[in-house]
Amino acid sequence: MDLDFFKNTPEDDAKINEVFAGLRLHYEKHKDPWGFNIDLCEKTLRKLVPIYRKYFKVRVFGQENVENIPYIVVSNHTGQLPIDGMLITIAFLLDIAPPRVLRAMIERFMAQLPFMGDMTAQLGSILGDRANCEYLIDHNESILVFPEGVRGISKNTPDYYKVRSFSQGFFRIALQKKTPILPLCVIGAEEMFPFVFHATKLARAIGLPSLPLTPLAFPLPSPIDIYIGKAYQMPDHLNPESPEKEIKEHIYHIENRVRRMIAVGMKKRRPFVDSVRVPLSKYIIKELRRKDD
Amino acid sequence: MTEEKKKILIIGIGGGLAQILSRLILNEHPTWEILGIDSRSISRVPKINGLNATSMKYSRGNFENLFRAHEFDAVYHLGRLSHSSGDQEQLSKRIELSVMGTNRILELCHRSGVKKVVILSTFHIYGAMADNSIFLTEDAPLRASMKHPELRDVVEMDQICTNWMWRHQNEISTVVLRPCNIIGPQIQNSMTKFLLSPLALRPIDYNPYFQFIHEFDMATILYRSLDKVPTGVFNIAGNDFLSLRESLDLIGTKGIPFPIFLADGLNGILKKIKMDVPEYLLDYLKFSCLIDNKEIKTHLGENFLRFSIKEALELIKLR
Repeated sequence: MDLDFFKNTPEDDAKINEVFAGLRLHYEKHKDPWGFNIDLCEKTLRKLVPIYRKYFKVRVFGQENVENIPYIVVSNHTGQLPIDGMLITIAFLLDIAPPRVLRAMIERFMAQLPFMGDMTAQLGSILGDRANCEYLIDHNESILVFPEGVRGISKNTPDYYKVRSFSQGFFRIALQKKTPILPLCVIGAEEMFPFVFHATKLARAIGLPSLPLTPLAFPLPSPIDIYIGKAYQMPDHLNPESPEKEIKEHIYHIENRVRRMIAVGMKKRRPFVDSVRVPLSKYIIKELRRKDD
Repeated sequence: MTEEKKKILIIGIGGGLAQILSRLILNEHPTWEILGIDSRSISRVPKINGLNATSMKYSRGNFENLFRAHEFDAVYHLGRLSHSSGDQEQLSKRIELSVMGTNRILELCHRSGVKKVVILSTFHIYGAMADNSIFLTEDAPLRASMKHPELRDVVEMDQICTNWMWRHQNEISTVVLRPCNIIGPQIQNSMTKFLLSPLALRPIDYNPYFQFIHEFDMATILYRSLDKVPTGVFNIAGNDFLSLRESLDLIGTKGIPFPIFLADGLNGILKKIKMDVPEYLLDYLKFSCLIDNKEIKTHLGENFLRFSIKEALELIKLR
């Protein structure tokens, strides 16, 4: 892999410039109470775009379903580490119009970690809390929620792509704020770490939300597809205090939409082996040529 | 028309805030009379026309005698001991003063026909937690004493006052104020000391947001609470907030870069080299505890503060 791999194309650089010129206008209007740092976000994005484009080769489908309004974006959670969240956030900055910073909800565990809590807050994450979400929606921001929580990413290999039951909080917030829910699914993230065992008891004993054990030190370059579904409109007859039974019915519909999108996405999935083989063979050929020269 | 004469009791006159408040009241109403008491020495209380400052032990007998001898129209209870030590003896003393003492004072106010009681609580009662919502409203749970028992008296005093307030709302108007960090040249609280200390720990692993209010603004709110603020509990903070590092930079305190997550375990050593901060304050150096100000704005208006957060920070350098 040569150093060019880590460079952005001129098109991507121009796109990032354009996106952040627009976003600065929004974020200069009000100071973010969690410490979102737009300069750090831009700097980090420039470093991550090559990984997004060349390593994970992310494709985005369903951009036409996104309008210029705040959404609660709801996704399946896969891949042991929240890399899927990072890739979705980049997609909403670069490949979806109008671009926006998706504010990802994180667990309390993450928010209280030294260094990590501050860094994730600077990059736009916030603690998953109803008041926080409502504040953001009031300020015209979109939120990224993984309603499966840690259960979503802490799956053993045989359970890959099985969608766990969704929590209800996001739906009640959507009802309160009359904000449409945008269902989304990520295909390919489970294969980043193909062999995983979850040491659940050990994780509990040392106070971690999950402890995936894998022989891999880095995620494999599994090709990622992000599918965005049609917005789920909020039913008029429900309110945030509606009984659990009525809310669950809608949660079930949203879960099923995500499951259906996963089923369709799995059929169109790019072969994982090619993804690993092609860059490796390119690298070997290049190295051989270099030696010949 | 001559102004009606009023007699005000200020408990805790030894504090800088109480003295600014006294000046404000007497400037506006020169005919009013203020009796200021404190269990600490009052040698540093300046001579102000109309202010009679007395040092007295906060005991049941002394308070009863005070209320028998005077007919107060309003009482300011600013007399809380600083919550900076976890020492057991200090804790018992503070609980006696803050909790039991407050209860006695409120009962005496009720019995002697006081019309207004204004109590100074603090935003510390909410606690600095990783899972704090942004802009805590007055209804947020008071979680400070969950982790720090040394804050128990502060939380209990607030709860006693609010319970008492609603129970007697038809007979006496009571206002409980929960201000954010009060700072200023005349204030000697842990936060002001921390911000000005050249040995202040400058967290490298966290950077929480803070709200600050200038002492003059706080004194003005206390004064305006007499007739502008009805019975209730109110958070006091401006609209703006700054990160800890921004605040230290603004004052010009370089401090010592330090990973705060290590400070819990190392506080004993830090104490020896005079770099320690009160244990409860360590949490505020990790996690934000921002409070909502919508309620107070409904009574005092949108622009109820004279100094911005940046001005308040710059002004503490004047001490």
